[in-house]
Order: sequence, then C-alpha cells, then structure tokens
Amino acid sequence: MSIKLVSGRLRQITWLAVLAIGSALFVAACGGDDDSGGGNNANVDVKETVAATDCGPKKGQKATGTPIKLGGLATKQPGTDFSEIPRMTEAYFKCVNDNGGINGHPVDYVIETEQTDPGQAASQARKLIESEKVLGLVGSSSIIEADVNHKYYEQQGYNVIAAGIAPSAYATSNIASVNMGPRYSSDGATQTLIRKKVKKIVLVQSNVPGTEYIQEGPELITKDAGLPFEGLKENVPIQDANSAALKAVQAAGDGGGVVLNFTPPEALKILQAAQQQGLQDRVKWGCSTPCNTDFLAKALGDAWDGKLFVNAELNLITADAPDSNLYREVRKKYAPDIPLGSFSQMGFIMGRIATEALQDVKGDYTKESVNQAFLDVKDFKTDILCGPWYYGKAPLHLPNNIDRTVTPKGGTMVQNEDCFPISDVDPAVKQVRGIEQKDPSLIGK
Amino acid sequence: MPSWDEFQPFIVTGLALGGVYALSGVGLVVLYRATGVLNLAFGAVGAMGALIAWELINNAGWDEYPAYGICILFGGVVTLAYGLLFGPPLANRDPLVKATASLGLALILLGTMSWIWSDKARSMVLPTSNENFMVSDVLVNYTQVLGFAFGVVVMIVTAAFLRYTGLGTAMRALANDREITATLGVPVRRVEAAAWAGSGLLAGVAGLLLSNLVGLDATTLTFLVISSLAAALIARLQSLVVTLIAGIVVGVVNAMITPILSISEYRDMTPFVLAIVALLWLSRHREISISRSA
Repeated sequence: MSIKLVSGRLRQITWLAVLAIGSALFVAACGGDDDSGGGNNANVDVKETVAATDCGPKKGQKATGTPIKLGGLATKQPGTDFSEIPRMTEAYFKCVNDNGGINGHPVDYVIETEQTDPGQAASQARKLIESEKVLGLVGSSSIIEADVNHKYYEQQGYNVIAAGIAPSAYATSNIASVNMGPRYSSDGATQTLIRKKVKKIVLVQSNVPGTEYIQEGPELITKDAGLPFEGLKENVPIQDANSAALKAVQAAGDGGGVVLNFTPPEALKILQAAQQQGLQDRVKWGCSTPCNTDFLAKALGDAWDGKLFVNAELNLITADAPDSNLYREVRKKYAPDIPLGSFSQMGFIMGRIATEALQDVKGDYTKESVNQAFLDVKDFKTDILCGPWYYGKAPLHLPNNIDRTVTPKGGTMVQNEDCFPISDVDPAVKQVRGIEQKDPSLIGK
Repeated sequence: MPSWDEFQPFIVTGLALGGVYALSGVGLVVLYRATGVLNLAFGAVGAMGALIAWELINNAGWDEYPAYGICILFGGVVTLAYGLLFGPPLANRDPLVKATASLGLALILLGTMSWIWSDKARSMVLPTSNENFMVSDVLVNYTQVLGFAFGVVVMIVTAAFLRYTGLGTAMRALANDREITATLGVPVRRVEAAAWAGSGLLAGVAGLLLSNLVGLDATTLTFLVISSLAAALIARLQSLVVTLIAGIVVGVVNAMITPILSISEYRDMTPFVLAIVALLWLSRHREISISRSA
C-alpha cells in the first residue's frame, strides 16, 4: 500500500550499499579457517639413510593377494585443504604395496572429501562404509566429521585412526588421533611461556565456534601456576593486525606472554604487526602447532629468531632418524607434490600404524579383524612422535600428549625445548594419564 | 576503559589504515563519477598485484622496487582491460548491474589467487616499515606515514586534476550526463579508459600498502574494499573531500574500538554502521510521498 519514494540517486546508493554488505558477507564466508597444523615447504638437505623400499617385508616385490580396502575422509575446500593428510597415507600404502604388501595383500585405499557440510560429511562416511565397503578408516582429517560421524562409526564397529581437529577426535572411545589438536597444543605453548617466567598469559584466537572449549585448557594451566589469564578473540580474516597486536600486548602487559592460536597467515599478520610496532620484545610470544611451518619462519625473517615459541606435535621435518628419513623418501617417490610438513608427517604415521597393526591379523581381513587390530595397537614407537602411540579400549583417546617446542631460526623452525608432557591440570590429559597408569603396556612400561 | 596512553598507538594505526581507505575510496569515487561503475573488484585487483610482487621478489629474484612497480601497473592494466571489455556493453545498464559485474571479476581474481598461492603464510614488508620514529611513547613507521599521506595527497591531486585539466573536466561532464557529453564531441571511451586506468593504479598502490599494513592474504585484501566502499558511500559517491574524511574516520574509529574489550569483537561492523548512519542522516530532509493506486 505505501511506497517510500526517495530520490533516485539515494536509492541507487542504498542498493549499492546493500550489495556491498552482501558481497562482504559472501567473501567473508569464503574465508577458510584452518586450526590444524600447517604445511611446510622447506627444501631439506639431510642425508637420507633409508630407501623407500623399507616400508614392506619383501623389497621390490609387488603384493598380489586380495586387496584390503581402507578409507579416509578429509576436508577439502578453497582455503582449507586437509586432503594432503590421507594422500600421504595413500603414498605410504603404495610403498607397502610395492614391497610385499601386508602379509601379501595390497591396500586399496579410498579417499573421500567434504566441504565442512555436516550432511555431506555424514553421507561421505556412509559411502565409504556402505558403498565402498572399506574394512577400516585411517588417515581421516576433517574439521567436522569426528563430531558428525563418531556415533555412526561406533554403531558400525569402526575404530578410526585420524588426524583430528574437532573435539570428538579426542573425546570418544572409537577415534584415536596422531596429533593433539588446537586445545592441547595451546596448553603446550602456555606451559612453555610459563616456564619462561611470564607474568600473565593472554590467549588470542579466532572468533569462531569452539574457541571457548580450547580456552579452558590454557586458562586452567595458567591459573594453576598462580598467574592471571585473559582470553581474546579476533574476527578472521584480521583486517587491522596492528590494532590486534597492540591489544594483545597491552592485555598481557610488560613481561607478559601472548599465545596465538590461529592459522599461519593470520598468526603472521599479528606477529608482523607486532614487529613493525616494536612490540616483539615487550612480551614473550607463543603459538600452537599451526605456526610450526618454515613458511612462517621464512616470512617472519630474522627479527623473530628465538622470540617465538611454537608448540610442535611432531618432530622436525629435517630430523635424521629412521622414520623421519623414510617419511621423506616415501614422499619423494610416491607423492612429490605433497609438501614436507606436519600434514604429510601425520599421514605417514597413520599409514605406518595401520600397516603394522594389520601385519598381526591372523586369518581373513574383515571389518571385525581390521578394527580389532587397530584397537589393539599399543606402544607404537616412531621418532616422529615424542612418546609411544596407542589405541586401546578407553572412553577417550589422546595418545599424543608429549610435545616439543620449536622456534624460528634463519628462516626455518629449530627445536627450542625437547619433549615435555602436556600438563595434567587439563582434565582430559589427567584422565588419559590415568588410563596409561592403569595399563602401562599401552606406553611400553 | 583503557587510559589515554593506551589509546594513543591505536590512533596511529587507525590514521594509517584510514588513509589507505581514503585513497581507495577516492579511486572508487573517481571511477564511479566517470563511468557509473562501483568497482567491487578494487580490493581483489590490489591483492593480486601485491601477490605478484611477492612472487617476483621471493621466487624470481627481482629487486623490490621494480616488483612494486609491477604491482601498481598490474592494477592499472587489469582494471583498464576490464573497463575496455565490459564498460561499453554495460554502459547503459543500471549501476547495480555494473557493480555486480565487477563482483564477478573480484571472484575470478580471488579464485585465481587461491589456486596459485594457496593459503600459506606470506608477508610483504616495505622498506619504509624498517624506519621509524617516536611520537610521545608511540612508535610510528614510515609505511604508516605513507598510508595516511597518500590518502591526503591523492585526494588533493585528484580534486585538482578534475578541476583544472581538460581530461578532468571531461570526466566531470561524463558524471553529469553521458549522452550530452558524447554529443558535445568528448571522446567518451577515451575518458572512461583514463578513469579505469587511474582507478586501477590506485588499486595497485592500495594493495601494496595494505599488504604491509594488514597482511598479504588474498581474502583479507579483497574484503578490505568494503571499508573503502563505506567511505565512498558516506560521500554519496560524489565528494572527494568527504571520502577522505570518511575513510580516515572509519580507520580511526575501527582502531579506537579495539582496546575496549566489551565491544572489540564487533569492531568490524564499523564501516557498515557509519555508512548506514550517514545515509540515514543524509536522507533526513528528503521528501516522502505516499501514494495508492486505485
């Protein structure tokens, strides 16, 4: 009935404003958030002491038995691509298949991807289990799928080996991760700064759902140390990094510590802004695992050498040790397009764990025998992790609960602290230590 | 509430960002006045120029300054090419259609950047960021000074150009009435091409400065055009002086809200809130008539 008439020009401008806001929301929605470990493109120059033929029992002999079908599910969307992880698991299986296989059986590995759509994540899991009929799930790494699918996996009798992101990847009976995820990694970074005698801890994170869950750990650890704690959130992508860095430093105060839990590009914005404002020495800086990339170390330059302490869930990619050397060899031969870094390290370890577990299966490879074999994994030792990895029957799984600290030096990350246990002030860590104490064989004791 | 001492550094960061918003806003307004196109690809063009410069410096071994030149040139060339290709067929379409078409360019560039450069961490530190001085207790670097100064200088130079040069007069004439201007013998296509190229060069400069002041990230830089757009809309896509002031106000208000923790999370709304308040204020005396057709 009523029509408001405004001048044509103002109406045009109003429409354009509406379009602009709509565009902004669209572009913002396109921005990915990656809270897992980052890739790492360093060209390492380390003497390799193993060959890619060391991943199977019969060197150079292709496996010809009935294939063992396994699967993995990963997030892959613009700006957030975790598919490198199962692709590296697949690379390891290719190496196994070329060198005798698992008791003569090759692994037929299927990778599915999802775009952080719960419906799609659920249907991809069903596709793997019901259509592809995979016998086991290994190599998965998705932002949401652990939360969406863990009950379905439980109903179906699957014990998943994953590189987790969602809280359920660390809090359920049927998912065990090779990494420790953003909460416990932030715990580790907080512990490091407390050891470096900071007067206060400020945790800065993305303003996205789930950050309250992450904040609980560092807050408990800081308060247990008798220090004040403050949690800050920044909308991502960060549009005014200078102000964000200033806010964090002012909140921490002189002699305080700032722990960042961001993707590498967002963390870099804050660190670079801090440097340009002369703030890098006002506080001590820590970061959760995503900062552990040589890409970030290179982008930061020498000004941050020894001034940023990053929690590292895995060994340095340059480590000269049997599994680290094999990892680089397998990647070079079977997946040269995948960058060296924590993502591919995780994929490699999962392939190794699954292969070793399945070697012990007596009789046919069935869904039951494969998942029982995964559940039975205990005291799995690798130089890529600080402690033995295990699965076992338990209400929750956090087998990776001992970490290192790395720091930038000359454009790469180098070790600053050797392996240390994540604090059991965090209740989940305490519960896991209790499980290890109850069954010491899980960790080889 | 933070103390005045705590607020001071935020004024510096706000002025620097506000200057670049103003610079970008001027580029948007000049193009809109000459062609009727609100270029939503402004940020994406600058972002891609900055990433190309980063690639040339870090992977092709170029010196910094020629790479910066390529960044600015890329902005000019891509924007001009878009204008030459899509300007004429869209010339008589509604401004909303023209703006939406430029959004298409923004999304193509954004997709291309995601494809080529993925989401790894990169940084662009201009040499001016390594030089700084103290104002009171606040460290100010010369990139921040440049950000603010460029905004002011570009506004003054552009205003003088539009006022005192033949090409500028032709652009103003086009803004008033394209048909009459063409009838009078003004080479419309050439004048529009100059506006596209000039606006594109400013996109390149803004991309370069913002890649240092904010971060070298395709999504962020593409997204930042919104703050400049708010400044241009506050100026009703007309006044360069108001665009300058609005850009600086957006930058400073945004930065000043940061240390106020209770509202800090909502500070990204600043450009929208200011633009809406300004548009409501500007329309307060407009005649409203209500009609009902039989």
